[in-house]
This record gives sequence, C-alpha cells and structure tokens, in this order.
Amino acid sequence: MNDLERIERIKAVLGERAAEITNPSPQRIFLTVPARTLVPALEQLKTELGYRHLSTISGVDLGDVFEILYHFGYDGGNLNIRTQIPKADPRLPSICAVIPGAVLYERELQDMFGIIVEAIPDGRRLVLPDDWPDGNYPLRKDWKHVRAAEKIPGGKS
Amino acid sequence: MKFQIPIGPQHPALKEPISLRMTVEGEVIRDADLRLGYNHRGIEKLAEERTYLQNIYLTERICGICSHSHTTCFVQGVEALLEVVAPRRGQFLRYLVAELERVHSHLLWLGVAGHEAGFDSFFMYTWRDREVVMDILEMISGNRVHYAINTLGGVRRDIDEALRTKILDSLGILRARTDYYFKLGANEPSFVGRLAGVGRLSKEDALALCAVGPTARASGVAHDVRRDDPYGIYGEIPFEVCTADSCDVLGRTVVRIKELGQSYNIIEYLLRNLPDGPVAVKAPRRAKPGEVVSRYEAPRGENIHYIKANGSDKPERLKVRAPTLANYAATLAMLKNGFIADIPLIFAAIDPCICCAERTVELIDGRSGRPSQVRWSELRRMAARRAGRVSKKRNMEWPL
Repeated sequence: MNDLERIERIKAVLGERAAEITNPSPQRIFLTVPARTLVPALEQLKTELGYRHLSTISGVDLGDVFEILYHFGYDGGNLNIRTQIPKADPRLPSICAVIPGAVLYERELQDMFGIIVEAIPDGRRLVLPDDWPDGNYPLRKDWKHVRAAEKIPGGKS
Repeated sequence: MKFQIPIGPQHPALKEPISLRMTVEGEVIRDADLRLGYNHRGIEKLAEERTYLQNIYLTERICGICSHSHTTCFVQGVEALLEVVAPRRGQFLRYLVAELERVHSHLLWLGVAGHEAGFDSFFMYTWRDREVVMDILEMISGNRVHYAINTLGGVRRDIDEALRTKILDSLGILRARTDYYFKLGANEPSFVGRLAGVGRLSKEDALALCAVGPTARASGVAHDVRRDDPYGIYGEIPFEVCTADSCDVLGRTVVRIKELGQSYNIIEYLLRNLPDGPVAVKAPRRAKPGEVVSRYEAPRGENIHYIKANGSDKPERLKVRAPTLANYAATLAMLKNGFIADIPLIFAAIDPCICCAERTVELIDGRSGRPSQVRWSELRRMAARRAGRVSKKRNMEWPL
C-alpha cells in the first residue's frame, strides 16, 4: 500500500474528522485532527486501519497555541497526527484508553509543557524532581534557565 | 501482606540511576512503579540554543553506547530539512559505523545478561570479543565511544583499502565467536534454566504497550525500522528481521545473537559494495521553515527524532525519544508476578539506557499501603534534625 492509498483510506474512515492531510515527503503522512475528536479518531484508526504503534508524542510551543504530534509507526512509514490546543487553556484528552503505551509520554507532556491531560490514568510527575517549583514548565518558549549562584559548602559568605 | 521495596536510584544491581518501586507479596512482585528524572539533563531545551552543527555533538552525548544512533537520526532529519543528500560512499560509511555499533552494543548486552544470570565466564568472553569491534571503531573514527563521524552532508573520515581488508578479516573472528555463543546460549542447561520463562511479555501486551526493538521482536512482533520504514541505504541491503516467540529473557537473548549474525552480513555487504567518490558534501547552515520526523533502528529499538526548523541556523524544536523509554511500560508488565531475584535480569533484558531515556522503580508496604520511599528533601531534613540533637564538637580535628 503506498502513501496515496493510505491517505485515501484514512480520509474514507475519518470523514470530516480529518481536517487536513498532507504527504510532504515519501513515507511521511501528516494528519490534523481537532483535539475534541482526537480520541474517537484514534480509536477508529486503531480498530479499522491498524495504527497501533505509537512511537512518541511531541509537544511544540507555537506562542499562543501548543501543537501536539502523535507519531505512529506502521509497516512502510510514519503517520503523524497533529492537534492544537490554546495555551491559555491547555487541556488535552488522554489517549491511554485507546493506546495504553502512551502514559509515559503524556506524563512527560504534563511535566515539560504544563499541559493538563484529562483522565490520565497516572498523572504523577515523571521527569522533573519532586521539589521542582510549580508553574515552571521547561520546554515552554518563555521559560529561561537561570543558573543559581554557586555556593561552596563550608566556604565564606 | 504486601510490602513496597524501593530499588534505586542508586542500587548495586543497576548501572545507571533509575528508581523502581515494587509492591511485593512474599517473593512475588504484585505491582511495579517507575520514577525517572535522576539523569535528566534538559538536552531538548539546550538543543534550541545550538546550531545544527553544534547539535550533532550534543545529540552524540545523549548516550554513551548508542551515540551514533542519535547523531545519525538527527543528521538524517537535518539533511532532509537542508535539502542535502550525502554522497553514496558517505552513506555506506555512516551505516557501516551504525552496524558496528549494533555489534558492540549487543555483545555488551550479552555480557551483562551473562553476568546478571551468574554466568561470569560468558560475560568475560563476550567483553573480550567486543574489543575486536571496539578496535575497528577506533581505527575508523579515532574514538571508542563518541565516534564523531557524522556531519551534515556525509561523514568526516574515509577508510582506506588496508582498513577495509582488516575489517573483513575481523568479521571471521566475530562470526566464529558468535556461533559459539549461540551454541552456549541455547544449550548450556544452567544458563537456559535461568533465562527461560523469566519476564514474560505476551505479543498482545508488546503491541498494546508499544514496545520496540529486541524486546518486541522476542515477543513475536516483527517490527524493525530498517525494514518497515527504510532510511538511508537500508532499502537496498538484504537482511532478515530476527524474531522469537518465547516471549521471555531467553528469547531476547536469542534475538540479539541472531541479529549479530545479520549485522555481520550487512557489514560485509557494505564493505564489498563500497562505492568510490567523496564522503561528504558541503551543507548550508540555515534550514528553511519545515518539520521532519526521522526514525532509526538503534541497537535497543526504534529511535525517533522530531525536528522543526524556523528558518534560522538553530532548530525551533528537537524532540528525542530513545528506545528505552518506549520499553519501560512493557518492563513494568514483565516485572508483575515475577520474583524479586529476577528484577535485575528482567530489567537488564530491555538493555536499559537511562542516559537516553531517563526513568525509575520502587517497592511499597502493602500492609499499611504506605510507600516506604522518602523524598531526598525529607531525608535531608531528618538528617539535619538528627544532627541538631547530637552534641556539638566545634573545630574538631579529624584523626588522619
């Protein structure tokens, strides 16, 4: 099955849920889905077309919105499902009910971008330390790392 | 009666910092939990402040074993963004180093598996033979670990005829040794008895939990990015995807030994068909706005980089997902209903690279349901309280 046939089948299954679908290079398909229909769309793609191997989830800070990409691997290439959520109200539905292997990537998104993943089965911190101050999300573009002044243990001052 | 036992972040059985928490009932693990972050270095944030060329050296340092897989994955993506194609000889050399790296990583893993199973002579044999491939890598690149051979538009070093012959000769030694390991691994009763049936991961679980690499292939999931989504020159190289359907640590061992054989075939193919010509072309410094997803089959499984360019000489976003992270969910499933004594073996069997993935496991007191792990800050406070109670000896001299 080549890229064009895949795109046709995805369009046929998702109908108007597929807002935009592009094929910028061979073996790569980019599909845009609104956040509110994300879970049913993934469910359909999994059960009807067999897209079940989630490689990872990438978050990108685009200023006013967060762009979330779900990278799915299949035999012959890679399907990237794109969705956007406003930065002012960063809520994203959890896809763990459909893809159980997504939980670690969703926890990472919560830590690094401050996105609230709704109905996540396990929402504890994953990569940031327990004593990390609230409201600091390192991968947001407006977050800058400031190195703390060096203290020499036992030194003067 | 259940207990929670913390393993790590610092533990003699683990080589890198990760915290696992196991809920145990007697000797049996009922639940496992993971905490990462002890080795998080903020590389994705750092990459946004470095140029594409500088980022090659940064991504090389994501991992100390599969360093070449991260740079190759990154360079493949950036070359697509810069609209540069590496010359064929450069690509052959790039994937030659990639396969040599797979050989060294799998030999290293075999040694670790032997060590965790209490078969230390196996460990010493494999690590001795690993020196053969480490020497080849050093002769090609000048380095044993961070080869620094990739650059935008090709590779930085060429090989000559003498080196080509030498690598082909060394392959004979490695092949003979690997056959011996296969015989040993499949027939030595104490070794097989220790590995068989340990850390079961069913095919359904491997698929649902999105496991990758030898971990998935040992559960009968024939995923291999080199065949499924061919990158570089893999579309033209003949090789097989090795699988096993025993779904246990023994299967993972067998898959890796079989993959060694496939890697030797690929190396031989690359060297026998090495084209002439330049090894690199000049690449521009700035990339047009765009995005690319680059995938690569690292020794531990699928490695994926997502790179977004914004028109400058620095990436807007670099997302790295190393294979170990993808296998953690599957590891927790394997640990369940296993024995405490199998933890190091099961955990070692995914060939974890904490540097790459960055995560942990803990054990819990099931009777009170209270976790027995305390935060560092709390420990520090407790230590300070205790220190406050002891009588003060100011300006005391240490008996040296």
